[in-house]
Amino acid sequence: MAEQVIKPDLNFINEVINGGGESMKKCFQCATCTVVCNVTPDDNPFPRKEMVWAQWGLKEKFIGNPDVWLCHQCNDCTAYCPRGAKPGEVLGAIRKQSIKQYSAPAALVNFVNSKAYIPIMFLLLAGLLSMAGTFKIHDGDIVFTKFASTQFLQIVFTPVLLFGIAVGVLGVKKFWADMKAATGVTSGDLKGSITETAKEILSHKKFTMCDVNADRFIAHFLVFYSFIALGIATALGVLYIDILHMESPFRLGYGTPVKLFGFIGAAGLFTGALLMINNRFKHSAKLGLGSYFDWLLITIVTVIMASGILAWITRLAGVAPVAYSIYFIHLVFVLSLFLYLPFSKLGHLFYRSAAICFMKYSGREKK
Amino acid sequence: MEKKFGVYFCKGCGIGESVSFEKLKPRVSGKGKVPVDCIKEHPVLCSPEGLEFIKNDIKEGTNTIIIGACSPRVKYAEFDFPGTLTERVNLREFVAWTAEPMSADAQSLADDYMVMGILKAQKGGMPEPNILPDLSKTILVIGGGMSGLTSAIETANAGYQVVLVEKEAELGGWGAKLYKETPRQYPFDKLEEPGIFARIKEVESHPNIKVFKSSVLEKTDGQPGLLDITIKTNGNSESMRVGAVIMAAGWKPYDASKLEYLGYGKPNVITNVQMEEMAKKGQIIRPSDGKEAKKVAFIQCAGSRDANHLPYCSSFCCATSLKQAKYVREKNGEALAMVFYKDIRTPGQTELFYKSMQNDPGIMLTKAEVTGISDAGNGNLFVEADNTLLGEKIKVEADLVVLATGIVPATRAPQEYLDGLTEAQKKGDVAKNSYLEATPKPDFILNLTYRQGPELPSLEGASGFADSNFICFQYETRRTGIYAAGCVRQPMTMADAADDAAGAAMKAIQCVEHVAKGIAVHPRAWDTTFPDPMMIKCTSCKRCTEECPFGAIDEDEKGTPFYRLNRCRRCGTCMGACPERIVSFKDFSVDIVGSMIKSIEVDEDEFRIIVLACENDAYPALDSAAIKRIKINPKVRIIPVRCLGSTNLVWVTDAFSKGIDGLVLLGCKYGENYQCHFVKGSELANYRFSKVKETLDKLQLESDRCQLLQISISEYDNLPKLINDFVERVEEIGPNPFKEF
Repeated sequence: MAEQVIKPDLNFINEVINGGGESMKKCFQCATCTVVCNVTPDDNPFPRKEMVWAQWGLKEKFIGNPDVWLCHQCNDCTAYCPRGAKPGEVLGAIRKQSIKQYSAPAALVNFVNSKAYIPIMFLLLAGLLSMAGTFKIHDGDIVFTKFASTQFLQIVFTPVLLFGIAVGVLGVKKFWADMKAATGVTSGDLKGSITETAKEILSHKKFTMCDVNADRFIAHFLVFYSFIALGIATALGVLYIDILHMESPFRLGYGTPVKLFGFIGAAGLFTGALLMINNRFKHSAKLGLGSYFDWLLITIVTVIMASGILAWITRLAGVAPVAYSIYFIHLVFVLSLFLYLPFSKLGHLFYRSAAICFMKYSGREKK
Repeated sequence: MEKKFGVYFCKGCGIGESVSFEKLKPRVSGKGKVPVDCIKEHPVLCSPEGLEFIKNDIKEGTNTIIIGACSPRVKYAEFDFPGTLTERVNLREFVAWTAEPMSADAQSLADDYMVMGILKAQKGGMPEPNILPDLSKTILVIGGGMSGLTSAIETANAGYQVVLVEKEAELGGWGAKLYKETPRQYPFDKLEEPGIFARIKEVESHPNIKVFKSSVLEKTDGQPGLLDITIKTNGNSESMRVGAVIMAAGWKPYDASKLEYLGYGKPNVITNVQMEEMAKKGQIIRPSDGKEAKKVAFIQCAGSRDANHLPYCSSFCCATSLKQAKYVREKNGEALAMVFYKDIRTPGQTELFYKSMQNDPGIMLTKAEVTGISDAGNGNLFVEADNTLLGEKIKVEADLVVLATGIVPATRAPQEYLDGLTEAQKKGDVAKNSYLEATPKPDFILNLTYRQGPELPSLEGASGFADSNFICFQYETRRTGIYAAGCVRQPMTMADAADDAAGAAMKAIQCVEHVAKGIAVHPRAWDTTFPDPMMIKCTSCKRCTEECPFGAIDEDEKGTPFYRLNRCRRCGTCMGACPERIVSFKDFSVDIVGSMIKSIEVDEDEFRIIVLACENDAYPALDSAAIKRIKINPKVRIIPVRCLGSTNLVWVTDAFSKGIDGLVLLGCKYGENYQCHFVKGSELANYRFSKVKETLDKLQLESDRCQLLQISISEYDNLPKLINDFVERVEEIGPNPFKEF
């Protein structure tokens, strides 16, 4: 192989360490991780090589590297690592750096993953609601649109969501170009690859390969499909209100499709999130409890569902101060989720999909 | 002493069920020429009643005791009867446990062994220790580094007078030149202040220790307990007598000027020694421009584990480089330390230090084959490496490169000089004189006046490290009373050197104490016998002086050999070497073993094979095989010898002329990883027996009838098969034609 000038970057090392990869320096390159990994391709497998690159701070090696995203964090590697280097967690921390690499503005990555972020979101939304003049406990029947009107939600939430999606799509574009440059692959069957990728994601095939942490499959499966159900419910709302200009479907009876999707989604997401939390604790002896970066997504999803369900119950119970307060919390976390989309762990929606797709596109999977 | 015999036959442990005492008694009495009424049996001889049974006879005047029971390697405390000559016959392991019970074979084995035991007791005498006069128990320590200081403290604290000789003006050696030390205590993650200064203080203030600085040993004459030394200090000489020597002469760093291929000679390429000096001065800078070094590359095994330089691992360099990497990181948190290693070798608890250093974000490690150091401009350097963990050929920029050079023992230069001299001498006086003129004489350490040379003999494959019996007795050199400790013996860390020094101190103390009692120092640490040559018959052939593994025999002005008894380890190599057969011990001589061989019953239609078994490894291996009840062909008779080196060729003649069909010499492995307790015994035996062919040819016998087998003590399970296979081969050859005569 050609001689390569390497440039160790201490900053990168420290960022990975502080971002959840504090065990990474322990790796002594035995390659047990690569051997036990069921998800890695056989050709040029991960995560051993990523571990030594990270130890040496070889930041440029991770540019256009699809492998950190092919990792599904089953943590079989971490469970079997004889040195406690937790490759699964380290790759998670490297993914954070990858998200930073491809997100514009990159500063938002640090922001959403910092501990000051949630309080600021509370203040921001409270400020906006004050400006709309609805930030108070309303008298009479508890109706949440009194607190935050549909219009308000559309003005504030829709752009944030669209912004998040745009950042993610642009990031993927850059990532795709880098992957091509890094591997030298210039052509392939893009359409076929996308179809195959969709099939893989919908079937959760890779999750079924996890060994030690096999119960992640059901948790992720529930969360994934519940999000789709909730997405459908929201889309129906948009269809009824904005396109058909009908009355809000959310006020109709419980038997309507909108409500049905909403309830199924809520129940599924809440269950899935609780299962994820449970798994984290169940395996914490070997895998550790995970980083802030890691917990944030689970926490937000859990809070959204808990607050949503509580808001519904307290509304029916007619306890206005509690119902409105909880609804406010619910709104903050939903807004967070939208902004969070490309900058947090949720960024895997974009990058992991792209990496899987690229692996099929480049034909590496078949080697 | 008039011998009054008592022959005791134990029936315990299955012996009674295997051999008939009634049948044994008349034959032993007849052949052994002892009265029938002094041959007795007992159900369990080692029981209190059994021992009382013997002691009652001793009270009645019995003074020569033959015990037919278990192996002499067990129950030695029970069968210890002071003031008597006691001979143990191994009926349990060699008969009861390995032969068919109550068979004619078992009976014949027991007969032969009992007769041999009686003969040995008849021919042998009561050993009396030979204590030389005017002995000193003072211990001389050469070297004031970690090993020397520790040896001195340990020996002095045990109550012995110590003389410490240090070549440099100050004590401390390399340990005093360190900026910091690798951690000595759990959790092994913090660098420590050098601990050597406390030891220096302890040595300098110790009432039992006398320190000579800027001093060397000019002469060492005599033998353990009687070593007359001359110490030279700044031109003045002082003589004194010491009992034993601990040689902790230490090491020098490998000459880095031979490491041009690793960039040595470029201004910003330094050695680990230079790095240590720089850190001690307080700054880690580039020699070229005095700027702080921020990207430091450490090249491990610089000239070590390399056939072209030092073939061995120096043991401490990995920990030292990790420590120096920590210096770099402690001075500047932004700085990088990159370590390129062949294998990280951090022995013992240093492993924990390695783990904690590895955890430092700024310390990077990779296995690598460093292929070169090239200029990167600005005084910076590229380290070029192949076969790295990074999976490809890499090139990385550094502003300072540190070569982790290894150690060269202080013994190497004198050894190489003397080996060269020996080679030149073989070519004649002209070659010798031109060698002496052309070769600068290095500093000698011991300056012995021994016939076998002024320094420790060099050891094959030891790369100049002090001679030591590496596998079994690491501190013991081939010069009795001189014990090597620390890096002069083997590369090691300071912690290991301290342990090593304590071990060597124990050996030195053992030496002076044994010498004071007139017993062998080691490994026959109980033995009060000594070689007693009949000098009238000596022809001054000097074979003994040359072959003695321990240089125990010097020559007087006329060239007649004489023993320096306290150097002798009682292996009997001189006895095996002597063509005139004049060397004897009280309980071991050419005649005793020869008579034992000749006493073996040889029937015309029976095969008889003799195994001369080394007492140190082969004999215990035979015992172990017997414990496992592995059968040995009953045609075999085993005779223990002190060392195969003590086997005299005349025994071969004795055996074959008597009609013995085959002879096995069973000894230790020799060569580079030798296990011989007496270093050269089995090797010498092999050399002598390569000449046995001539003897056998003279007798018109097949040379395959005689074989030397090397075994280690752990191979006991395979040993009976080796012997049985040999018996089969001899049976194929056919009976010894001398049987008829």
